[in-house]
Amino acid sequence: MSAAQAMGPVVAVAELAEGGLAPVSLELASLARELAGALGCQAKLVVLGEGAEPLAQEAARLSGLAVIGVEVTGLEMFSGEAHCRLLADLWPQLNPSYVLAAHTTSGLDWAPGLAVLLEAAYISGVESWRMEADTPCFGRAAQHGKVVEEIEPLQEPVVLTVQPGSFPQPEATTAEPGRVELLTRELPPCRSKVSPGAEAPSRDAALASASVVVAAGRGIGKQANLELLRDLAGLFSSAVLAGSRPVCDLGWLGYGQQVGQTGATVSPRLYLACGISGARQHTVGMQASGFIVAINSDPQAAIFNLADVCVVEDLLGFIPVLVEQAGASGNKLT
Amino acid sequence: MRILCLVKQVSEPESPFDLEQGSLVLRPPARSQMNSYDEYALEAALTLKESLPDCRVCALTVGPASCDTVLQRAMGMGADQVVRLDGLDDGAGPLAVASAVAAWAKEQAFDLILTGVMSQDAMQGAVGPMCAELLGLPWTSSVVELALDQEQRVLGAQREMEGGRRQQVELPLPCMVSLNSGINRPRYPTLSLLLKAKKTPPQVVEAARGPQPRERVIRVSLPGKKRAGLVLPGDTATKAQRLVAILRERALL
Repeated sequence: MSAAQAMGPVVAVAELAEGGLAPVSLELASLARELAGALGCQAKLVVLGEGAEPLAQEAARLSGLAVIGVEVTGLEMFSGEAHCRLLADLWPQLNPSYVLAAHTTSGLDWAPGLAVLLEAAYISGVESWRMEADTPCFGRAAQHGKVVEEIEPLQEPVVLTVQPGSFPQPEATTAEPGRVELLTRELPPCRSKVSPGAEAPSRDAALASASVVVAAGRGIGKQANLELLRDLAGLFSSAVLAGSRPVCDLGWLGYGQQVGQTGATVSPRLYLACGISGARQHTVGMQASGFIVAINSDPQAAIFNLADVCVVEDLLGFIPVLVEQAGASGNKLT
Repeated sequence: MRILCLVKQVSEPESPFDLEQGSLVLRPPARSQMNSYDEYALEAALTLKESLPDCRVCALTVGPASCDTVLQRAMGMGADQVVRLDGLDDGAGPLAVASAVAAWAKEQAFDLILTGVMSQDAMQGAVGPMCAELLGLPWTSSVVELALDQEQRVLGAQREMEGGRRQQVELPLPCMVSLNSGINRPRYPTLSLLLKAKKTPPQVVEAARGPQPRERVIRVSLPGKKRAGLVLPGDTATKAQRLVAILRERALL
């Protein structure tokens, strides 16, 4: 057996949300398959929790990967501490070379601790990868999302957290479902106790279905400047005003109008990002938009890497001119 | 009650930079600030302090002397004690930082460690949970509400997850909690406290060395464009005219 064949598997850990597989779970499966192919080892997907079996079957069907379903009675909702302990206990059996977690509030609640426990290399927010000589190296956003750092692990095992939306969902193939192995584990004793929290803030219902979203970032400077964005929104027949998290934190817009990781995920025909820097926490909520126009005074703002059209301008000067031009050339629909 | 708050100095998001031989070099007028998520953590620490009879807040950062400004701000906001762990390599990863913090904090008997959910620049969110695991403390992350039951020594934390879903986590003290933004309104430093901070140098401690690095940055580059990224040329009016034309061509306007 060659050294490459002796390598432990790439293990993706599925993320569950609201009783099902979160979409990012299948993206993790895609990356696991790619990596395992390059490294010459197996790829596996772990599904962890109470009622894991049907989800494990579903994951095996959708990903085609070998799935380990770990039935844990009492693990009804996410617990970072339980994930960390359970995965550490499964470690000798799994013996992974790589563990893939989602770069989400859940993944980030257990992956760093697991890396410490298992003395693993830790690379977070992975958005790309490639082989450099014989070693994979991983790209992540840094410096407010403005640059890409390529990071090489110096050892195994390696824990990666993977940015949602960075890798494809497995193609809907006719490939055979992966093999499902079922394990049963006791809920480990946890010092932290989890229970359901408050209701999420009610979402602006128009936001999800809007064909045009005009989104404000901190770059608008002050709440009064939202009026400019309302003027801009008024150019369209059905535009909805939204904001990045900092704008909602400041109380300039309600949390129901937040777009991003902890807010709404939208994909309008047109997304006008006004004074938005383009941090990943925001862009995961709007990157699937049809056409993206970014207006920002910082020419190096990360949002420009995601935009179809980039306008390097101060909003306060630009928007009134834009509104005037659009109005002057007629055809205003409202 | 003793609270440790971990704060990081970051460059302002708009800071211009160049890439020189594969590394990032900030250029004027780049300025630094306290990581905004850490400001929320420090505000939460100070609010707790005000509600408790005998509570001290220590703000700690890891970095060279140029990071002292972030500690001055922390003291200006009301931290009682400021500490800087010095001597880590430039670009030390989260494990190195967490190891240094844990080695120092282990001797200090803090009841609570608070920090931001991530740094604005590196966006890793790893130092807090790694530090907790190294210290053997329970932790939770992305918290948007905190309530302390001092009698029971239990901290109630509401964490915010994807799409705004919430989860309640109860943690026995001592523990570590990382805070998301919006949990409070961070106060501005007061002039009198800032003056005091200028006269009170931070306690500087040689950072303990953690394990050998397990990963390294091999290259820093500009991200590729995910889309066309057409940059509109000309003056304000020309850009506006062009944008209107593009939107009309696509029947978006």
